[in-house]
Amino acid sequence: MKWGYNIVTKRSIDLDANDMTIALKLQEAEESLISCIACGCCTATCTAGNLTDFNFRQLHTLVRRGEYDKAREEAEKCMLCGKCFIICPRGINTRNVILTLRRIL
Amino acid sequence: MSKQVIIIGGGIAGMKTASTLESMGVSTLVIEREKNIGGKLNNWDRLFPTFTPASEVLDRLVDEYKKSGSRLMCSTNVEHIDAQGKGVTLSDGQKLTADAIVVASGFELFDATIKEEYGYGIYDNVVTSVDLEQMFKQGKVLTKQGEAPKRVAILHCVGSRDEKVNQNHCSRVCCVTGVKQAIEIKQLYPDCEVYNLYMDMRMFGPGYEELYRESQQKYGINHIRGRISEAAQTIDGRVKIKAEDTLVGRPLRMTVDMLVLMVGFCAGRSNRVFSADCGLDLRLSNFMKPRNPFDLSNITACDGVFLVGTVKAPKNISETLHDATSCSHSVLDYLKNR
Amino acid sequence: MNTYFHPFVIPFSLGVLFLFATLIFKYVRWYLGLTSDEKLLIRKSLFTVKSLKAVKECFTECLLHLKIYKVNLRLGYMHMSLAFGWFLLILVGQLETATYLANDFVPLYVHVFFRYFFPIAPEGVVHNIDYAPLMDALLLIILISVGLAMTKRLKSKLLGMKKTTRHTLGDRLALSSLWLIFPARLLAESATCGAHGGGSFLTSSVGDLMANICPVDMIELPLWWLYSIVLGIFMVSLPFSRYLHIFAEIPHIFLKNYGVRAKNEKSTVDDFQIAACSRCGICIDPCQMQSSAGVNNMQSVYFLRDCRQGTLEYKTADNCLMCGRCEQRCPVGIDLNTIRLNRRQGTLLRLGTNPYSYANQLDTSSGSGKVGYFAGCMTSLSPRILHSMDRIFESARENVWNADRDGGICCGRPLMLAGDIDGARKMMQMNTELFRKHQIETLVTSCPICLKVFKEEYNLQGIRVLHHSEYILELISQGRLSVKNNGNLVTYHDPCELGRGSGIYAAPREVIEAVASLREADEHSEHSLCCGSSLANTVIGTPQAYKIASDAAACFESTGAQTLITSCPLCKKAFAKVSQIPVKDLSELVCESLICK
Repeated sequence: MKWGYNIVTKRSIDLDANDMTIALKLQEAEESLISCIACGCCTATCTAGNLTDFNFRQLHTLVRRGEYDKAREEAEKCMLCGKCFIICPRGINTRNVILTLRRIL
Repeated sequence: MSKQVIIIGGGIAGMKTASTLESMGVSTLVIEREKNIGGKLNNWDRLFPTFTPASEVLDRLVDEYKKSGSRLMCSTNVEHIDAQGKGVTLSDGQKLTADAIVVASGFELFDATIKEEYGYGIYDNVVTSVDLEQMFKQGKVLTKQGEAPKRVAILHCVGSRDEKVNQNHCSRVCCVTGVKQAIEIKQLYPDCEVYNLYMDMRMFGPGYEELYRESQQKYGINHIRGRISEAAQTIDGRVKIKAEDTLVGRPLRMTVDMLVLMVGFCAGRSNRVFSADCGLDLRLSNFMKPRNPFDLSNITACDGVFLVGTVKAPKNISETLHDATSCSHSVLDYLKNR
Repeated sequence: MNTYFHPFVIPFSLGVLFLFATLIFKYVRWYLGLTSDEKLLIRKSLFTVKSLKAVKECFTECLLHLKIYKVNLRLGYMHMSLAFGWFLLILVGQLETATYLANDFVPLYVHVFFRYFFPIAPEGVVHNIDYAPLMDALLLIILISVGLAMTKRLKSKLLGMKKTTRHTLGDRLALSSLWLIFPARLLAESATCGAHGGGSFLTSSVGDLMANICPVDMIELPLWWLYSIVLGIFMVSLPFSRYLHIFAEIPHIFLKNYGVRAKNEKSTVDDFQIAACSRCGICIDPCQMQSSAGVNNMQSVYFLRDCRQGTLEYKTADNCLMCGRCEQRCPVGIDLNTIRLNRRQGTLLRLGTNPYSYANQLDTSSGSGKVGYFAGCMTSLSPRILHSMDRIFESARENVWNADRDGGICCGRPLMLAGDIDGARKMMQMNTELFRKHQIETLVTSCPICLKVFKEEYNLQGIRVLHHSEYILELISQGRLSVKNNGNLVTYHDPCELGRGSGIYAAPREVIEAVASLREADEHSEHSLCCGSSLANTVIGTPQAYKIASDAAACFESTGAQTLITSCPLCKKAFAKVSQIPVKDLSELVCESLICK
């Protein structure tokens, strides 16, 4: 049956509609996250990201935009090895970001 | 007016301040720690954004300085400034007095060995932007193995915008230097693939953005937005780099024949000493902080002590020279009112 | 037979009954919560020399507090005079009643309120020793120590040391009643002596004084009531206060001597240990989180307090470097790090069964040999260590299998430290399979974090696990590595996981002595400072971590050494940022001193 329209998965990040509760919780739990300049070093060095499609920078950016789809599963892929924490030029406590995501999502 | 001004540092800021002051009738003494005046510009081949030979600019400045009548002491270190800012102590213990002191001691280049993960000083083919400039000066850019590079990566922000090495500031000129050097490599080796790995392209000056566009359109230089996290050496001496292509959102791996590190500006070691000597303010990364960055940008908390050039913050050449003129006037005003 | 009784003994007697009922209830519950292995261990050890040792330790630690003496003389005296003094008071009191009453059985309260029932020796009792002066002297000693305790509380408050101590109702009641017990006893006994004579230098003179200013025979009974009531309150509040440690330390000492320690599994050993903490606060001083980072609420004493009260927040549990400096000083010998780790567990729930399946069967290793080298994630960010190890292997003509040169997986320790034991086990399993697959006989690692987990949690039977310091020492002593002594003056930092964590202090020092000249910092070996970048702490930010590092670096710089040597890539990174002198890994130092054959 044709309805004349399809259910389209949303494409845009809708900041008017997104629920920012968790985003704010994350920001509160790890204040240093706000200073990310998206250089990508964390993802470049990532032990897990070398082996699977895990991207820490993208993950936390999406969460901060109120996009929580699959974020919890993604966060669980992290091995917490701490390389990103050592490399981050902004001194962001990356490991706490992961731990917080695993707790609040 | 028979006033005497001591200028610490004989780089372009110090020279220009000296010759301007001399032209206004103030006698100056420039104290330079190296054998020759000219500072870091001595090590540069060509200048962005016009590819003008550095020597051309430098020769004019040196010539002007030499004719100005300023006195010069080379191979001499200033150890301390008097607490009242009325004189300096040299490394041999000699004390000199003056009516005003201009700190033009400049910057130091970031020591790339500190960013150990890039392998400078460990791997064969990791060089800094300064090393590369030396190679340009000698007219050949070759790998350690003596071959022309077929693929070069230029990494921006090494020792800039990096809390992990106590360098929180932006060194400003590396972006355009990276673009300039990429073009120069292309000019030498048109078949060479050149990649700029950047975080932000800060093309702030006149002609800089145009140079950036030229690098894309005319030279086909690749620009990847992502910082290299680490490098490793392959068995054949090439350099394997890891970054994230942040615009795509995926890790990026690449093996290059040469990795060039755009080393940033570091505050001079003497900044802390001088600051302690006579109460000059310092910024977070130990650059000198003037009274304000607007109309009092050459004046310090210590009466009679002035700041000029990159001792305050990273600057390009024209900004430094303008600053020198501005500083000369501040000094003159001060001397007149005494 | 005489029946000695007065209603004022009721509060005390009820208190005692309640106390022992509660203690028995707690002990039985905790005992039942032990694992069957632990119960077996206790049963096996019960009638061995271990029990005797435990009895001796109970005497030296619960009463004399020798370990506290070693740390702090004043604090040691305070604890000893209170504990041992009280113990002697009970013991001598017991002897005194026994002398007076021959062998008549009397209820406990008669011993306690003895002076009330027998102000002066009953007629016809022959006694060789006059106990009264002795009892008075003991009472005086205890009164002085109570005074000390009061001053300590006031003074440490002034010093801001315990500003975050939140006393529970139980704590407050117990503390107030404890402080009142002995003054009340003095007044009650003195009143009796004032009214009926007897006593000795303290009680009789105070009694005389009281008799001069008030009608002692009228206030005598109310004072005994008071004494009994405060004793009763103390007994009732004790199990709910920190004073539970008085009794909990005894089973803890026995368990400790039997080898029943806290470990990474569900057991009530932790409860015994948590209750055994006397909150002496000795753990606060060595804590760099306090001295450098200015954090005052997560030290072991507060952590254990929160555990007992059930108010532990994960932020408190997580905010610890686990450097082990407090554990090393703890006079009670509590397994502080293990208990903290156990408390971190369960805060991280998992959705997927194995989120790490992507790493199954992963093998990016290279080379082959009986010796496996696991650089560790952190080492991969320190190419100078990798380079030096390559040179060392090459120089010793060792065939090496490189496990993770092209990016392996994590050892699992960081996940364990975060409380995700299940996740960590997945890593361990994958790495173990990899090691087995390549049939290595020795596993060398440059990272003390990996080393500790390989040694303690992996099942690597048949594979020797060595830190590179141990391995290099072995090469040097076997003559496989020729080094020269450059005579450079260096100082050495013991990484927490290598030193206190794995007990490796000697190997790196012997290696250093072979290639340079070592000058120790003030705090070295088991007292060594933490670099502040520990993976165990997920709460503090970079500024605090670097504050810890720079304070520690200052301690090393003050030795006057030219170089700071460490043997952990993470510590090296932390110090490199803040140190005024160059920081190198042990392997780099050795590499510089190699004599090429």
